[in-house]
Amino acid sequence: MSAERLRVIGGHLHDPANGIDGEVGDLCIEDGRIVSDLPPGAPTLDARGMVIMPGGVDIHSHFASSSCNQARRLVPEEHAADPVYPPALLEGEPAPRSGTGGTVPSTFTTGYRYAGLGYTTVFDAAVAPVMARHSHAEMDDTPCVDAGFFALLGNDEYLLRQIDAGERARARDYIAWLLGATGGYAVKVVNPGGIEAWKAGQRNLAELDQPLAGRRATARAILETITDAVNALALPHATHIHCNNLGQPGNSATTLATMQALAGRRAHFTHIQFHCYGGPDGTGWGSAAARVMDYVNTHPEISTDVGQVMFGPASTITADGPVEFLLWQSSGRKWVNIDVELETGCGIVPYAYKEKAAVSALQWAVGLELFLLARDPWRVVLSTDHPNGGSFLAYPQLIQLLMDRSVRDEALKRVNQKLLAGSALLDGLSREYTLNEIAIVTRAGPARLLGLPHKGHLGPGAEADVTIYARNADLAQMFSSPRYVLKAGRVIVEEGQLRRAPRGARLHVRPGYDAAVLTDLRRFFDEHGTVQLDNYPVRDIPGEPRC
Amino acid sequence: MHGEATAPVVCLGCGCACDDIAVTVAGGRITAAERACALGRAWFGDGQLPAKVRVGGTDASLAAATARAAELLGAGPALVYLAPGLSTEAQRAAIALADLAKAHLDSVTSETAGPSIVAAQRRGRATATLGEIRHRADLVVFWGTDPAERYPRYRERYTPAGVPVIAVDVGPARGPADAADRFAFPADLEAAALGTMKAALMGRTVADPRGPLAPAAVLAERLTQAHYVVIVHDAEPAEQADPQRSEGLIGLAQALNIPTRCALSTLRGGGNRSGADAAMTWQTGYPFAVNFALGVPRYRADEPASEVVAQMRAVLIAGEWRGLPPAFVQGLAGRVVVAIGPRASEVASAEVAVDTGMAGIHEAGTAYRLDDVPLPLTPALSHPQAAAAVLDAIAGQIARRSAVLR
Repeated sequence: MSAERLRVIGGHLHDPANGIDGEVGDLCIEDGRIVSDLPPGAPTLDARGMVIMPGGVDIHSHFASSSCNQARRLVPEEHAADPVYPPALLEGEPAPRSGTGGTVPSTFTTGYRYAGLGYTTVFDAAVAPVMARHSHAEMDDTPCVDAGFFALLGNDEYLLRQIDAGERARARDYIAWLLGATGGYAVKVVNPGGIEAWKAGQRNLAELDQPLAGRRATARAILETITDAVNALALPHATHIHCNNLGQPGNSATTLATMQALAGRRAHFTHIQFHCYGGPDGTGWGSAAARVMDYVNTHPEISTDVGQVMFGPASTITADGPVEFLLWQSSGRKWVNIDVELETGCGIVPYAYKEKAAVSALQWAVGLELFLLARDPWRVVLSTDHPNGGSFLAYPQLIQLLMDRSVRDEALKRVNQKLLAGSALLDGLSREYTLNEIAIVTRAGPARLLGLPHKGHLGPGAEADVTIYARNADLAQMFSSPRYVLKAGRVIVEEGQLRRAPRGARLHVRPGYDAAVLTDLRRFFDEHGTVQLDNYPVRDIPGEPRC
Repeated sequence: MHGEATAPVVCLGCGCACDDIAVTVAGGRITAAERACALGRAWFGDGQLPAKVRVGGTDASLAAATARAAELLGAGPALVYLAPGLSTEAQRAAIALADLAKAHLDSVTSETAGPSIVAAQRRGRATATLGEIRHRADLVVFWGTDPAERYPRYRERYTPAGVPVIAVDVGPARGPADAADRFAFPADLEAAALGTMKAALMGRTVADPRGPLAPAAVLAERLTQAHYVVIVHDAEPAEQADPQRSEGLIGLAQALNIPTRCALSTLRGGGNRSGADAAMTWQTGYPFAVNFALGVPRYRADEPASEVVAQMRAVLIAGEWRGLPPAFVQGLAGRVVVAIGPRASEVASAEVAVDTGMAGIHEAGTAYRLDDVPLPLTPALSHPQAAAAVLDAIAGQIARRSAVLR
């Protein structure tokens, strides 16, 4: 069988991982990978004048989980307002599927829309391990993107027992077993200890050293144990941390304390926009973006994604049950709470961020400040915590805000200024992101932070996931509709239209562990579980584990 | 004849989906289902199912059957009906088929738990997985239901031993006989009782202390004294159920999370019903009653399948046809029926019938517990036709037909 080849001619290459910044050149592709050259006569794609980047990599999205599906079920009115016809795929492709959009689109539509945006790899950031089988099923039905998920572990009963008992080695073995059993890719910590506190009637944990009622475990101990285990296992991605006190006024103190607690350790702090509030004295509603980003700038061992708020509808979906309880109380909207046995929680409140609402405006400004104050874009990834801060479909508008100060300044004039005093944004941050910086925060950076050496760049050996944009003075327009998208070397978006919808790869890990943990685990499952240990692991996970 | 017990498998006899059943097979028959309740033992049976393929009442090849099914369903207007007994993999295939055929898609949910789901779509809900109930509950309230009959192992497996139980009798629908405490409301005052309880939680007294709603305020006070209250109700049909019950219970359970913690546990019947709701939601955005006639999913929650069926020319029953809601079955008269599922060949009126195995007994895959926890299905027996493969084949032929027409 002859090799499948393509030479993409004459585009402006933005490949920051390989030090290439807009140079004109050809991109050679063979059998789904980038190669250094091709024999003459290979098929060509004319990209002259266009901007070429690696396929986008979403490090933090909520798109394929049991929680997402509960959120989907909660908003039929959004789906009714956004029916989606099947795309006109080429003959021989899988049958195209209809769907619905809104803030939590149906699965096929999610895959099609990510591809249409030039994103080719997506991670679901919060999956209850007992629900892992569900996430794999949704990912099977989410075409076009390579996908994986982070397993929720910051409130896990078996892990808390190991922490209470000081059994750090067993905690590490358990984490390794759990990732392999569920087909997860990384470990997620949400509100460490706080969800267990919510379920146990303690309501929440306010500080890192406050113990859970009746036990020794604190948020600090949970964070240290998990982060040390993840680093000892040399997992491709760092512990992915959603700090305590999300969305609370003055929470930057908790965020900074958490970063300091893990000082010197590799760790990823997610949607930090939601964790950067506090006035000049560190309390109340105000922007603490500068203080937090100053810490990030000077600590190369940690990375972040922003979790930008974009004005418009959102669905807040999180394992952080106590936060959603508060949001329900303050917003009066629909509210779902699901306490998930032995592991975690789930809270959902459909929401909307409004320009004229003071807190929404503060959140919007804090996110932009974080981006604009970041000295190392490799460690500050673009995200909206889809769909918590807004849909992934808002990424192009966010890119425009970062690249075009005039658009940003106009937007700033429209928003409620009440809580913006002290915001660096108000002082006129003049920075404009370059195309290469956008390439870093949307693909090269997240790929590197996720430990995916074959993604996020265009060098020989890279997977040929490529996004090609026609230049447009309207940057939001340019980034919302790439002219071409290539997945594994094949053109899936052609002239802005989705034409192919291949099944993506599954990204998962299976680290080694001391099997002695299984004896103890079986005892635990027999005593406390409602799912048999033998029925817990997900079978037949597609593709080989990454470690 | 002696067989060997399997590793623990999942029983889909009811929504509890107990996954600790050891099945013994001897001579190709199930001879024992250890730990199963009476409902579970009946569900497993001996595992013997017909394996016929019929078109127009006579034996046919599988290829002929799928081709004829594709022709009938592709011509529309068609209803694709997800009956119980399918793995979620087969449900996904049937949903794809409905999408490609621009059919109306529904499941038993529209005639059963539909109102409860719609209420949750209006308000949300506060709930928990069953293990959480087992670990946390210090007070369990059975609201107008006794799980002993339809969910026999619910209390044994999912409520803590020795936990106080309150029975709330609603008209003739009684809670467990052994409950430590009983409260009773006339059926026509159920919604008012729920409203009174919620008002009491807010510190308002609305009930006449000597009237029939007086116990509601007392009950509300009792609930606030617990640390983790679980309220259990049955979402499957009961003649006496007030249509406002679900919404009232949802509001009560949510409000109880202000002074204490509370989860509402919603009972569902067997055969992977929650799986159908889940898969329809992720593929279409809606949990049941989805119409694809215009090429996109549209929600028709207020049009149950028993009403829609009369507008259809062809009906695909995917899954176990026995035990379907009577109103739906009556509506099948005069429709062209395609039956794909366990004992499909026993549907006398079916133009096409393909017997398949039963999910969980003969077919592998996934099924969902009533709390949406997905579980693996490990078949103890085999069957020549798998529902997912047959449905996939029909969907593929419909897709090719529509591609040609395009």
